[in-house]
Amino acid sequence: MIFVIEDDRGWEKYYRRILKDYKMEFFHDGVEAIAAMDEEVPELVILDILLTGPTGFAVLNEMRSYPELAEVPVIIVTSVSIKDAPSEQYGVTEVLDKGKMTPQELIGAVQGALK
Amino acid sequence: MESEVFGANSSAIIVAHELKGPLSLSRQLALSLDFEDSIDGAREIGHQIAATSERALRQVEDLTRIARLEDAMFEMEPVNPRIVCDEVVSELWRLFRFNRRELMIDYRNKRRLVVANRQLLHSVVYNFCLNAMNYGGEELPSLISIYEKYDKIRIDVRDYGPTVPTKIWREIKNGFVKKPVDIAMRPGSSGLGLYIAAKFANYMNGDFGLVRHRDGTSFYIDLPVSGQLSLV
Repeated sequence: MIFVIEDDRGWEKYYRRILKDYKMEFFHDGVEAIAAMDEEVPELVILDILLTGPTGFAVLNEMRSYPELAEVPVIIVTSVSIKDAPSEQYGVTEVLDKGKMTPQELIGAVQGALK
Repeated sequence: MESEVFGANSSAIIVAHELKGPLSLSRQLALSLDFEDSIDGAREIGHQIAATSERALRQVEDLTRIARLEDAMFEMEPVNPRIVCDEVVSELWRLFRFNRRELMIDYRNKRRLVVANRQLLHSVVYNFCLNAMNYGGEELPSLISIYEKYDKIRIDVRDYGPTVPTKIWREIKNGFVKKPVDIAMRPGSSGLGLYIAAKFANYMNGDFGLVRHRDGTSFYIDLPVSGQLSLV
């Protein structure tokens, strides 16, 4: 199961179309998502940074504080420039820019993370 | 929160980010056409691209208008608020639908006109609605109301999202809106839309404000009543 944490419904539709071959669950804020991770550990998390509620970084921080979530791969997909973000520190698999990525790159990143 | 992400409270960065959102989505939607097999699906993507692009264009227009405000290029005239709100609804209904939101109207003022600039009032209501769409829940529709309030006409847009923090509520109440981040009141918001609304409301001698409810917020503009009555 892929958890997608994204508060813009326009993007949700986009993910549903591009990643239609994958089982996904959508969360519109990080608090909901973290609560759901209590019930089920996702195979992959696709995470936006500017969210309604805690930022994506706060979600990542919270995730990494739980041993069972520490190794879950995370792909950040955001329109914020985060080249200085502590990606390695948090074990982020890939960072994709919403303005520059292509659907093929997104699919490739998901396939790579799920390997 | 914004400063945590952006590193500095730069209005220029915020404006750029605000525009990048819909432009990025439009581009991705266009690219995703290759992944759509059905004609109906492709048509829906086309509508979504149009609605998303229109939103970005509206923001650009509003920013241009802010730059021209000091030249006093916007004449005040008697305006029927119902017609303006109807225009906003017809412009936004598709975007609301794509975001699984609903927008409803409740016009209690039937015939009285307000003294305003039609373009600026349109922008104010549009930005209130966009704010409601972004922060309202899926369960209850956002609501545009028009009614008389003392000697003015109030146009408000009610949402059922997270309520506004007290600090920000005070800043708006006291008119301390100097830049978008002053009213980046809700997480993930740059405050730009409400900043634009506040600027335009102020230009039209309207009162811009908000009412906090237990389950959301109403943003409003109070405008002077025109001596003319609508014939419509």
